[in-house]
Amino acid sequence: MILQLAWRNIWRNPVRSLVIIISVAAGLFAALAVLALYDGMMISRLRTVIDTETGHLQVHDPGFKDDMEPRYVIKNQARWAILLDKDPAIKCWSSRVVSSGMLATPSGSAGVQVNGINSGKEMPVSGIYGKLLRGLGNSSEQVAVSSKQSRSVDTGLGLTDGRSILIGRKLATKLKLSLGNKVVLTMTDKDANMVSSAMRIRGIYESANTPLDELNVYVSEKELAETLGVPGSIHELAIILKSDDSVSAVQHRYSSLFPGDRVESWKELSPETNLMIDTVDLYSYIIVIIILIALSFGIVNTMLMSVLERRKEIGMMAALGIGKKRLLLMVLTETIFLSLVGVPIALGIGWLAVSYYHKNGLDLSGMGEELMKSFGYESLIYPTYPSDKIPAIILLVLISAILASIFPSLKSVNIKPAEALQK
Amino acid sequence: MNTTVIDAHNISKVYNPKTIPVYAVNNVHLHLTKGEFTALVGPSGSGKTTLLNLIGGLDQPDSGNILINGTDITRLSPSQLVKFRLKNIGFVFQSYNLIPVLTARENAEFIMLLQGMTKSERDARIEQLFRQVGLEGLDNRRPSGLSGGQQQRVAVARALATKPQFILADEPTANLDSKSASNLLDVMYKLNQEENMTFIFSTHDQRVIERAKRVITLVDGRIVSDTAEVNVMEAHKADE
Repeated sequence: MILQLAWRNIWRNPVRSLVIIISVAAGLFAALAVLALYDGMMISRLRTVIDTETGHLQVHDPGFKDDMEPRYVIKNQARWAILLDKDPAIKCWSSRVVSSGMLATPSGSAGVQVNGINSGKEMPVSGIYGKLLRGLGNSSEQVAVSSKQSRSVDTGLGLTDGRSILIGRKLATKLKLSLGNKVVLTMTDKDANMVSSAMRIRGIYESANTPLDELNVYVSEKELAETLGVPGSIHELAIILKSDDSVSAVQHRYSSLFPGDRVESWKELSPETNLMIDTVDLYSYIIVIIILIALSFGIVNTMLMSVLERRKEIGMMAALGIGKKRLLLMVLTETIFLSLVGVPIALGIGWLAVSYYHKNGLDLSGMGEELMKSFGYESLIYPTYPSDKIPAIILLVLISAILASIFPSLKSVNIKPAEALQK
Repeated sequence: MNTTVIDAHNISKVYNPKTIPVYAVNNVHLHLTKGEFTALVGPSGSGKTTLLNLIGGLDQPDSGNILINGTDITRLSPSQLVKFRLKNIGFVFQSYNLIPVLTARENAEFIMLLQGMTKSERDARIEQLFRQVGLEGLDNRRPSGLSGGQQQRVAVARALATKPQFILADEPTANLDSKSASNLLDVMYKLNQEENMTFIFSTHDQRVIERAKRVITLVDGRIVSDTAEVNVMEAHKADE
């Protein structure tokens, strides 16, 4: 009876109830949109980190990460290659020679991280050639170079001659460089001697992470190793797994097999991304809570009006013997109904909207593409419906409804029958 | 043998006790037995409604005791009082006070649900009550679809639903036309005659007063006349 009564009570004033229901639905839809956008951005960022920046795992000599000295090469390189090639959990891997250096031009210079890559193996790991805007136009394979273009790219790859270098667009802009320009790359070899190479820019790339574009330059692995005095050696293995879920297992396995090497996952290599993914849920819930608090005031107001309008009727019910607990329950149930009716509407509309943008993408470039890239985000986001968070959202709505019902409920139980029934 | 239903001793209710005290009920003694059909009469502000509220446990007296079937309701806690009202007292209000979102049947059933009666018990009781008050066929109408007289009969059915000790009716005919008022009084009088149900009315309505077996007149919160006492005195005189 209480449920029936509560349900009918909320429809006594349909317009007022509909306003609140639509407010709840709109608020929750906004919360869902934010959650979906956050999830989409995080997934996008995670894919950028894994697929183009770090891979799932990286392997280094334990001393290498401290100051990137060329002498800290990976031992057992051949054994690594055999095991990685045979491992069914691994999709692809690439070896790299890495050094810090100075890129100088007649107009300026910049500190860079020099990555010596094995062109054939690097493509599936970091997809660097897929991000080329200009250059390497002397060959044979069509590769998508941006969201709108495709270019003829030499996957062989123009970096084999030891004089070619790929630089990021940001660095090119900063140093006013363009294709074909010469630059001088200065590094320290394994014996701490300064070594320099004159190189020609063969390609300019652009990734979703502008700071990394400014920092990383790419040269031939073989030539760089020779320049650094560690011919045939490598400093880094970047590994892409078939599944994101097997990172820990594979990391532990190889750490046991190669105790002399440091095997790190993307979480350790990009701790800021890991932190962001861990905290984004918290921020999302904070946003939902703020929206619900705002809605709660509307609900309190509506319920209070409803209770005060029915003062005489509630007084009569109290006179007949409904009791405070049942009165509280009635007002609480009305508030919960009022709050929950909007939830399926919001979930339904939210699902439709998110599904559409999940398929077609939400282009946020108009809101500051450069800014997003400076934080490592793509400007085309594919929002993801936050199904895993729906139970928590419903729980939060319930909690806010219960909190919103407290004041009106107290008002109702404090109504004195004799006073309320006065003519 | 007449069973005592209400025994009120020396009850007073004062408003504004610290500033200008107004005695709504002043040192009233009242004794009612089972089956009485009593009218409380008096001018506006004489304390009729306050006295009914005190007897019905809707308000607490500032002094005195009210015993209902031997239970002193002035000593009950608020929650005990709610349960006591639910089991022992039926109310009929001037402006019907039905729950507008419930049908006639649900309104009458409401109090039975509060008492935890089973569906079969409720069905049987509703059928009996609606027949008694002449509401057959109107079960599923909401109050807005009923006339004032029909609404008040639903209120009577609701008051009777849990077989209370007595029914307190505060100006039950005040909002009714004469025909509806007369019909309602017929229903209540019949219930009093056939089921020995005790009714206490506060009223200005001469028709109610004419039907009442006992008329208590209040002025300024005091009982100034009680036909029961007159009858007792006349009986004494007759004996002498």
